[in-house]
Amino acid sequence: MSEGEPEPSEGEFRDLASPAEIDLPQVHGSILREHREPAEGVGRVPLWFALLMLGLTLWGALYLANRSGGFRADVFNPVAAPVAVAEDPATLGQRVFMRNCMLCHQFDGRGVPGQYPPLAGSEWVLGEDGHNAQQIVAIVLHGGEGPFTVKGDVFSGAMAPWKALRDDEIAAVLTYVRSSWGNAAPPITAEFVARVREATKDRAEPWSEGELGDLAAPAAGGGQ
Amino acid sequence: MSRLPTLFFGILAVFATSWLGLVVYPYVQLGHLQPERSATTGALTPAPLTSSAVAGERVFAANGCVYCHSQQVRAAWLSTDIEKGWGPRQTVARDYLNERPSFLGTMRTGPDLSNIAVRQPNVRWHFEHLYEPGVVSPGSIMPSFRFLFVERPVGATPSPDAVAVRGPHKPRAGYEIVPTQDARDLVAYLLSLDRTQPLPEADGTNGTKRTDGPNAAKEAKP
Amino acid sequence: MNGGMPDAESRIERAEIDRSLRGPVLFFFSSGVAWLLVGSLLGLLAAWKMVFPGLLDSADWLTFGRVRPAHLNIVIYGWASAVGMGVGIWLMARLCRVALRHRALLVASGVVWNVGVAAGTVGILCGQSRSIEWLEFPGWATPILFLGYALVGAWGVIMFRYRRPGHVYVSQWYLLAAFLWFPWLYATANILLIWRPVAGSVVGAVNWWYGHNILGLWFTPIGLASAYYMIPKVLGRPVHSYYLAIIGFWALALFYSWNGMHHLIGGPFPAWMVSASVVASVMMFVPVIAVAINHHLTMRGHFHYLKWSPTLRFTVFGAMTYTAVSFQGSLMALPAVNNLTHFTDYTVGHAHLGLYGFFTMTMFGAMYYIVPRLVGWEWPSARMIRWHFWLAASGIALMFATLTLGGFVQGLELNDPQSAFMSSVAVAAPFRFVRGLAGFLLMAAHLVFAVLFVRMLLRRGERREEATLLARVEDSATARTEPRPPEGGGITAV
Repeated sequence: MSEGEPEPSEGEFRDLASPAEIDLPQVHGSILREHREPAEGVGRVPLWFALLMLGLTLWGALYLANRSGGFRADVFNPVAAPVAVAEDPATLGQRVFMRNCMLCHQFDGRGVPGQYPPLAGSEWVLGEDGHNAQQIVAIVLHGGEGPFTVKGDVFSGAMAPWKALRDDEIAAVLTYVRSSWGNAAPPITAEFVARVREATKDRAEPWSEGELGDLAAPAAGGGQ
Repeated sequence: MSRLPTLFFGILAVFATSWLGLVVYPYVQLGHLQPERSATTGALTPAPLTSSAVAGERVFAANGCVYCHSQQVRAAWLSTDIEKGWGPRQTVARDYLNERPSFLGTMRTGPDLSNIAVRQPNVRWHFEHLYEPGVVSPGSIMPSFRFLFVERPVGATPSPDAVAVRGPHKPRAGYEIVPTQDARDLVAYLLSLDRTQPLPEADGTNGTKRTDGPNAAKEAKP
Repeated sequence: MNGGMPDAESRIERAEIDRSLRGPVLFFFSSGVAWLLVGSLLGLLAAWKMVFPGLLDSADWLTFGRVRPAHLNIVIYGWASAVGMGVGIWLMARLCRVALRHRALLVASGVVWNVGVAAGTVGILCGQSRSIEWLEFPGWATPILFLGYALVGAWGVIMFRYRRPGHVYVSQWYLLAAFLWFPWLYATANILLIWRPVAGSVVGAVNWWYGHNILGLWFTPIGLASAYYMIPKVLGRPVHSYYLAIIGFWALALFYSWNGMHHLIGGPFPAWMVSASVVASVMMFVPVIAVAINHHLTMRGHFHYLKWSPTLRFTVFGAMTYTAVSFQGSLMALPAVNNLTHFTDYTVGHAHLGLYGFFTMTMFGAMYYIVPRLVGWEWPSARMIRWHFWLAASGIALMFATLTLGGFVQGLELNDPQSAFMSSVAVAAPFRFVRGLAGFLLMAAHLVFAVLFVRMLLRRGERREEATLLARVEDSATARTEPRPPEGGGITAV
């Protein structure tokens, strides 16, 4: 702030002392203490930066040339790679389970009380207490409409039909279910699934518990 | 750089390159795609939506489902999406012809929905899940959409659509929870989300084998 | 060159200019601060809904899917754009050395803008969002915003047209560009996404061309213009290099606008579009490093000013964050990295680092400089400024750290084909909780700032003659060894 100025009165701006002008704008102290408006210096562009620019431009040009699919509208991948994943048959069952079954039966097969039956320790899965493998293949193919009694509890949900899955997928997922979370029951084969599919091909409705109970144990081969 | 015309035209011209390159040209390339028609069955891919599903798109948009759920299956060279089971193939431009705008999404706070109709075709599951996602899907942080349902007195027999409630928001005695039209439309839309049908440009060969159709290869690639 | 003190004439001129800007700029600032409070509250709510999904979940207008876009649009259009327009107009007027005419019209524009934001927000909460990210206001609200902007942009360009003869400073390039780019972006996006959308995935390309360019070609230029002004102005030193400034400006203009597709890597788009964006995103190293060199070499030897000057502290925090977030963004665009970070909270952390850590902090710095000159009062409490800074800085740092780490582990789970989807939700949970805590820090920072701002407008507190500094100059050892600053300048020229 300049010396020799009159003290500012309460609530007023500081006047700029210049006797030649009468209608001076009031200039606040904050403007008085400012530096000039900014300007640019003439520093040189560093060499390393110039080289970096050049290097990045070269990289960019190469990347664009190689990974643009000819700039065509129907080329969605920069590299031609087969979209079919080489699926490991050993994990097919787990993958089908995680894609389709897990939403209701949960990741560890414990189900949701009152709603979706557990698969872990389930007599239906294990083929115990009068249940057999044909029933679980049938329910996967055509769905089910509750109530169902599993492990002493009643479940009134509905299960969607999964007949769109392949025979080997259904066989794999049931085998997975039968051998996970403490379950130990024999595997199911794709041929068995095919036979059950053929035997029930006219089925249009989901099964009820009673109808499934009528399905007899299979005569020979492929799972029990 | 002191003159307005230089700056003005430079600013606009440089920006125009991206406007032309990322907006106009893609609109030319991709703005008029048509569904694929099967030579054998005549079915379209993607199949057209029912009017309920079209209304369901608006419910999907209004409630911001896209902020947690993506709808893209990325290719195998880039990601494990296919292995993870989000879909049997990557999704391509024509998979989104049913939506204006397409709900590609940028977050997977919740699962990808590209093929939810295939993973979960059960209508009742969807109503129950919208009503109380944390109960139907333990561990889920999806909020409840019970405002898409109404509680009304049970008639002579319960409605076939009545939601079986397990969690804390049960209906009062003598009442049932029934989906509104919005909920029905939303579920109709969700059950249209199926991108499992093959499309030629999604076969991973980068379109080099096609000789017909709207995206036919103009010249053979070496 | 600056350095040395300006003469009396230029002071009078600047006082005139500031006086002409008073109404409109303070109106935009006030609007911005009010929207910041509302937007932060909605953001806090959205963050805690992700931790406790049952929080306020019975009402449809409060569902997460509406609160989250309401938060986004309010902070973008209500806070950031409003304060950006205020700062931009002030800077342009100062640098063009033109007083603002027809100020009432500009205030009217601000009112229209606010009406648009409010109407759009109500639209979203009432379920009329189209879920187009960064453009969720319904189609009947967006023209209101366009109208509100029209005069602001026109004024900015007209002021430049009628500037006083002389050198055109780098900030003016950035501001002119921002004022021209925004309407083009907004109009294109509105027409092609809301009023006449085509079917198919191509709208996603336009969507993210728009979303990314709002950040890069509307907010970034305003933020850089402010940093390029405030840093040399407070220090009384020139910016290091005119040539780097030129490179930085044109490279930003060219490359940034092509970045949009990096939000959709792996998406249903032709390979050339994604590759072009990947290249452009990496080329962003060029303008970002140019600006970083310029700012750093201007600051070099004077970092101790950060002890005293609120303007400089917030602005330099913002400028350094700009470098960091841009580097991060360039790396995130590489497909190998993107594979892990895409669809996760990592992206959310990056977005907040950019819009808050860079742009918002830079705007705070600008407001700390500009408001005293408009109101004729000094900031009434250095302590409150310190609280504001530390709450905001720690809030954004915590938020960034927790979302980055959380997003990383979430991405690992998402990409693991042996892992159930729900495990990605479970591993992210603790990080989302901490993010909620960070939200409280930011909310507190904004409350402190709002109180401080209102006290300034009402000219509360003791009258000060000197600038409000964050520490006493005499206490510093450096001050004793520093040559006595020229009258009215030096460390106190904040």
